[in-house]
Amino acid sequence: MEKPITGTMKAFMTGNEIVAWAALAAQADIMFGYPITPQNEIMHYWTRLAPKYKREFLQTEDEISAGFTVCGAVQAGRKAFTATAGPGNVLMQEPFGMAEAMRLPIVAVIQQRGGPSSGTVVYSQQEVTLTTYGGNGEGHRIVYSTSTHQEIFDYVIKAFNTAWKYRFPTFVMGDGYQAKMREPLEIYDPEERGLAIEPARPLVGLPGSIGVDREPAHLCNIYSLEEELYEVVLELDRAYQEIAPQVVEYEEKMCDDAEIIVLSHGVVSRAADDAVKTLREKGINAGYFRHITLRPFPAQQLRDAIKKSGARKILVAESSYGQLMRLVRQEIYGETVEICGLLKPGVGIVDHDIFDKVKELL
Amino acid sequence: MGNLVRVALAGEGGQGVQAAAEILAEAAYNEGKQAIYIPNFGLEQRGGVSVAFIQVSDRRIGAPKFHKGDVVVALSHRAVERTHQYSGPDTVYVYDTSFQLSPEDLPPEAARVIGIPAVEKAKELSTRVFNIVVMGVVVGLTEMVSYEATRKALEHKLGYKFEKTPELRELNFRALDTGIEMAREALKGGEVIHA
Repeated sequence: MEKPITGTMKAFMTGNEIVAWAALAAQADIMFGYPITPQNEIMHYWTRLAPKYKREFLQTEDEISAGFTVCGAVQAGRKAFTATAGPGNVLMQEPFGMAEAMRLPIVAVIQQRGGPSSGTVVYSQQEVTLTTYGGNGEGHRIVYSTSTHQEIFDYVIKAFNTAWKYRFPTFVMGDGYQAKMREPLEIYDPEERGLAIEPARPLVGLPGSIGVDREPAHLCNIYSLEEELYEVVLELDRAYQEIAPQVVEYEEKMCDDAEIIVLSHGVVSRAADDAVKTLREKGINAGYFRHITLRPFPAQQLRDAIKKSGARKILVAESSYGQLMRLVRQEIYGETVEICGLLKPGVGIVDHDIFDKVKELL
Repeated sequence: MGNLVRVALAGEGGQGVQAAAEILAEAAYNEGKQAIYIPNFGLEQRGGVSVAFIQVSDRRIGAPKFHKGDVVVALSHRAVERTHQYSGPDTVYVYDTSFQLSPEDLPPEAARVIGIPAVEKAKELSTRVFNIVVMGVVVGLTEMVSYEATRKALEHKLGYKFEKTPELRELNFRALDTGIEMAREALKGGEVIHA
């Protein structure tokens, strides 16, 4: 079949359009979705592109159904994904929980919008708690947070690979700014770059006789005994902790001698990067640390950065009222560094905001 | 900051500010510049105030939004109210003169405030090209993209319409020229009002 992308192509696209191209490049078979701003154009572009490459789309009756159809498709061995935001992300927590329980390799793109409730339609970073630890489980999920259009392309491809390699539900979290803005990037065929594409495979209905050729493929999300569930959850956690070091990703700059470390994720990291550079130019020893994975959390890496720098303070900059800051507090519990916040729920943060806050703190 | 130019373009939903911003961003990208354009809008399908944020630079652009623009353009009375916050001490603030503004309606901070008769000029051509006139004004004021690149991006964006109705091509290019000319006149000081 014809490849959607050959070689490397320069592109100037919106983040939503990139998601559709990346899903094609990752050899996704089908998207299930239900409209919500600011992710609608992922569906629009996918429905335009998919038929050309024999891929499929189904618009379901709501987000709950979109999530569960993804859960079903991946069990049948189809590389399936969905995309949502805000209240849609809330509704999808039920199927996402099933994906956790059954270790289903689903992929979901979350374009955060403002909350609570319908909030605003374009931007926030207020879906961190929901995407990392939403649902009635223990957060056995993988969550990437992108900050550039190049990363949206790279990490959507990576999300499919991670999901199918490790069999944990995998999320790529962006926001409406990233979804709607246009920025230059390169799109490419991953295999031509030597990047292997993890194949999809059926998880049920496997060949051979049960008990003779293979163990039963018993995917379960409900148990009769409390003790049974207990064992299952502990096993999920053991498997999660085992793969976490291979999955965890972060970006660190200028932390060796930093007095203060600016901590951020997603689109805010762009402002943090500029702010730290300007602070350095003014002779202030600031460092930059970004969580690329919010789950698993690069906790040891952050502890190491604090230790080697001897930083007195951390500034968490985020477009939410402390959702990343809470993760940081729990993950680096015991460190004596002072944790401060530049917390602006639902609004953008620019480099001057961070620059001014650091000056105020030192 | 690598010749960074920040523009906020605000109008009523349906006035075409997002389309104009998209063409400008594409023109900048085609010229090998870094460009970021993000739309901001409310829940309304039509009729709300729609703001487009455009940044063009020779270098990588950080945050996609900004607090204060170099040029802020407001095309309706409500858009003026909505854009006060984006006008700072270094901002060239532009509004359309087709609606009545009292001095207290204008933003408290601006380097200069310029009134332009974009609606009126567009009527002489066709109200369909109003946003292209405004786009011309932005190009004339900022020179953030070259004239040639703007024409090419316009052709790319609207080429399919030009194919069906060839006279639209000439009309759009005239609208662009009209906008640029208006900006040049304004910069000469002819229509400048100091805030």
